[in-house]
Amino acid sequence: MPAVAAARPFREGLLKLAPPRLLGSRCDRCATVSFPAREFCPGCRAVDAIAETELSPAGSVYSFTVVRQAPPGIAVPYVLAYVDLPEGVRVLAQVSGVAPEEVTIGLPVHLELTAFDQDAEGADLVGYRFRAGSEVAA
Amino acid sequence: MTLAPAHVAGAGMIRFGKYPADVTLEKMAVGAARAALTDAGAELPHIDAVYVGHVFGGPVAGQRIAAQLGLDGRPVSNHENYCASGATALREAWVALAAGLHDVALVIGVEKMTDRVSGGVRPDPGDLDAAVGYVMAAGHGLSARRYMADHGATREQIAAVAVKNHAHSVHNPFAHYQRPIGLDEVLSARPIAEPLGLLDCSPISDGAAAMVLCSPAGLRRLGLTTSVPRMLGCALVSGSVRPGTGDVNEEDVSLRAAEEAWKLTGVGPGDIDLVEMHDCFTIAEIVRMEGLGLIPRGEGASWTEAGHTSLGGRLPVNPSGGLLSRGHPVGATGVAQACELTWQLRGTAGARQVEGARVGLSYCKGGTVNGTDGGSVTTLVMAR
Repeated sequence: MPAVAAARPFREGLLKLAPPRLLGSRCDRCATVSFPAREFCPGCRAVDAIAETELSPAGSVYSFTVVRQAPPGIAVPYVLAYVDLPEGVRVLAQVSGVAPEEVTIGLPVHLELTAFDQDAEGADLVGYRFRAGSEVAA
Repeated sequence: MTLAPAHVAGAGMIRFGKYPADVTLEKMAVGAARAALTDAGAELPHIDAVYVGHVFGGPVAGQRIAAQLGLDGRPVSNHENYCASGATALREAWVALAAGLHDVALVIGVEKMTDRVSGGVRPDPGDLDAAVGYVMAAGHGLSARRYMADHGATREQIAAVAVKNHAHSVHNPFAHYQRPIGLDEVLSARPIAEPLGLLDCSPISDGAAAMVLCSPAGLRRLGLTTSVPRMLGCALVSGSVRPGTGDVNEEDVSLRAAEEAWKLTGVGPGDIDLVEMHDCFTIAEIVRMEGLGLIPRGEGASWTEAGHTSLGGRLPVNPSGGLLSRGHPVGATGVAQACELTWQLRGTAGARQVEGARVGLSYCKGGTVNGTDGGSVTTLVMAR
């Protein structure tokens, strides 16, 4: 059997797969949390004392749109939302598991993994989105 | 700090719209440049340098244009700040004139889009937002949804921006669209990024606009004695990384651009008689006017519905028709806005003239960067 490369995040340091969690950065000086992780703190501009942190997988929709026209290569329609997480972080992501007309501001959602692409060796690249509902994979 | 103003000796455009393939980027730019040179009474030997704003024109587009125009050999620079590229070129020319480096500068904004962009524009593919499906229209759909929820604005009030701007450009011979549209037409247009539909979005257009800017010595070189109008200055700021979960329509980047403009030019918000606003989408005109501090927070939609931003209203916005109706060849837009301010301040804008206009402001916002409240923002102030 040919060796199959293990699935990995579509960008290094963006998320971990088991359990699914987004990875941000947290400033030890002022406690500001960023996603994606940054090498500086956008709150106090410190460049040291920045550590990786896992973000809560559950959040709620701050605002959303249903995209019905996009450049070639992007399948429509899809729901795109700003999702607010308890750490005080806003994440832009697609929302699944709900009909577009059922999405509302404040809708509870939770993180899920999604196929993104494949790399040159055929390994699955994994991305993220949020699914409607408050159930969270452990 | 206040730099010396640049004198606007000439302004010229070609009509924005969809041109066939043989109307190249270079041809459009040459057409607009010749119109601006003629307007200024300038000959090619008068021009010291050429500043070109474009996004999709490819490497050294400015030099390709200069070689068609007869300005080969001059200092030519290409300026890319996405939809603020043309305004950024104007800013750099103004700085060079104020510094005494040049006395007569030709600024061109140009874009050939209809043969290379379809379905809307989006961020650089390397940006994280692009990777999760962000397109420009989506960002404004997210903004509109939240604005309606936070301020009780109606879909009709937001659509009124498109109705107003199309009504204005009926009188603009350079506009892509020159016919009025009704509110029902905007509301029933096919959805693009809900709640926004097709007529909430500026079109993909081809076009070019140009200006001849002068120092006082440059005016003398051209034999001009009048100094009307003057470009007092152009501020440039960038979006900042915004931690937290604040108001997506806070428009801190617009507030900072306004404060920079007032500081650079000595003009204040109460002095502004008209605005050429970057209405790439209907909702954008509303939230950006509020961000500049020219309309109270949360009242932009109701102001539009009440006609306060229409010609003849309290503060006319986009007498040219704006991006929604004049069209939006992205690199050309900032220069086209400055052409409109020029004609308005000269009092030669015809049926779309803002009566008694003395000071005008134009605003561009270019691009998006994940985690920030924008790419580039310019605020240009012109006075008669």
